[in-house]
Amino acid sequence: MNQSRSFIFGRRWSAQLTFAVGISLVVLFSLIPAAGIFAISLTDIRSLPFIPIHFVGFENYSTFFSSAQLGYNLHALKNTFVFAISVTLLQNSLALLIAVLLNQRLRGRNFARAVVFMPTILGVTVIGLIFSLMFNPSGGPAASIWKSFGASSAFFGDPHLAMALVIAVSVWAGMGVAVVIYLAGLQAIPVELYEVSSIDGATSWQKLRYVTFPLLAPAVTANTLLSIIGALQSYQLIYVLTGPINPATQVLSLAIFTQGFGGAQGGAVQSQGYAAAISVVQFVIVMIVSVATLVYLRRKETSL
Amino acid sequence: MSELATTLPTPAAPAPPPRPPSGGGRRSVSGKVVNYALLALVVLIYLYPLVFLINTALKSNNEFFSNPTGIAKSPHLSNFSTAWRQGNFASYVLNSVLYTFAAAALGTVMSLMVAFPVSRGYLKHTRLWNVLFVSMLFLPNTLVTVFQLALRMHLYDTRLGYVLIMASGIGVGPLLISGYLKSIPRELDEAAALDGVGYLRYLFRFLPPLIQPVLATVFILQAIGVWNDIILATILLPDQAKSPVTLGLFAFKGTYVSQWSLLSAATLIVAAPLLLVYVFLQRYLVASAVGGAVKG
Repeated sequence: MNQSRSFIFGRRWSAQLTFAVGISLVVLFSLIPAAGIFAISLTDIRSLPFIPIHFVGFENYSTFFSSAQLGYNLHALKNTFVFAISVTLLQNSLALLIAVLLNQRLRGRNFARAVVFMPTILGVTVIGLIFSLMFNPSGGPAASIWKSFGASSAFFGDPHLAMALVIAVSVWAGMGVAVVIYLAGLQAIPVELYEVSSIDGATSWQKLRYVTFPLLAPAVTANTLLSIIGALQSYQLIYVLTGPINPATQVLSLAIFTQGFGGAQGGAVQSQGYAAAISVVQFVIVMIVSVATLVYLRRKETSL
Repeated sequence: MSELATTLPTPAAPAPPPRPPSGGGRRSVSGKVVNYALLALVVLIYLYPLVFLINTALKSNNEFFSNPTGIAKSPHLSNFSTAWRQGNFASYVLNSVLYTFAAAALGTVMSLMVAFPVSRGYLKHTRLWNVLFVSMLFLPNTLVTVFQLALRMHLYDTRLGYVLIMASGIGVGPLLISGYLKSIPRELDEAAALDGVGYLRYLFRFLPPLIQPVLATVFILQAIGVWNDIILATILLPDQAKSPVTLGLFAFKGTYVSQWSLLSAATLIVAAPLLLVYVFLQRYLVASAVGGAVKG
């Protein structure tokens, strides 16, 4: 960029100093921890400060893949992918539909935009409680509907239903940002293209297929990538909705939390070296998946 | 990842002008009806849970169990005062207000301090720093290391430690400010410098009023993040007296597990400040979220 530009405010150290002060906390609490996670994954560090730390090499990783843990970890890994893929696909397709709808000239569309974005503001704890109420087995609206069909369910307590519900709530909660990105993409498409295709006699569907979709492809890439990365790492909503140790909704991020900080057990001295190793495994998975997704979507973009 | 950012669509203006629908003049009446039906469905799916929450908060617990989905007959406003008292929300709200304002203000100032010299090229390695700002969005899960750092720096279970750690999660702040600074001509810097304004005075006195909208956006986005945080608070603040309101609400849920009216009232107490702020800033926030999500 404009790297060679001269400094015009006299002494350059004033800029360097304020920059250093500004970046210091970020370096301390984001960058050093990010780099340090691999380092401490090679130790037996625990959740209390006065226990001596030993270098254990890749022991935490072999524990992760050991026969005692592998079943549990593969289960969490499977859940992670089920959750991430479902959320990504559902959220993106629904967000695209909603964005196309909210881009039409309709009364109340600004209100609808605001309402769809609202969960972004509310945060996981409030959303978690709202949906615990909605799917409360004794008296929530979902239970009433179920009952009218003569069925009953424990909802989040039902191991077969819990994951589907958690996915649905996550899609509901994350829709706002995805819709807003698609809307931005839609509004960046020049009106002239639609006018020209109208003159050429294109139908609505043809316009959608040959004008909107190709020009929206970068927004699809952005949204897919954002939601797949977010969903692979997300656990706060799962934690609030089904607790830290529910096997039906156990994901890798939640395992980091429970292994490192105890989750339900609370007081126990936790092996944080092992939790750090899970963080590294998760990071590698996120990187591989996001690079693969990016390459795939880029190729698709150019072929549209 | 910066490659991703450069090809993303440009964000919408705060109040985008209405675009004609893609259908041109031949859009049928039935198409309109379908569109309005879909719009109503979307609004219903998003508003109903909130309406149900408010309705439940206004019922007595007996009324809720005898008729869960019916409309509250006589509003039980006492649920709010009871929840407020029994959940000790006064102290939790006070904690949250403190954390939110301190961390968001600090985070915004930090974002300004790093974004300005980088976007203007007043430092070396501009490109490197830009890549860093983007890659910060893709860091591994650092809960364990942050916990260890806090523990060993004696910031564990301290308000100061929590605020510093929350403030350092500046996320897209520098990217947003850098983007906005492109609309402030560099000639302004030069004119100020020529008049003998120093760097610090320019950065902290002259610039903030000019870029107020983006500073407000960065502040609000970070404030939402801090107000809603539950994981770092769980990890870093075991002392209940220091708990933010999210932890207070979570504990309240554990205690009053089947008293849904009271729980709903407590949830609304936590959500109300956010909803109020949102009603006033909604248009502005939605637009800035686009900028935050897609700008690089």
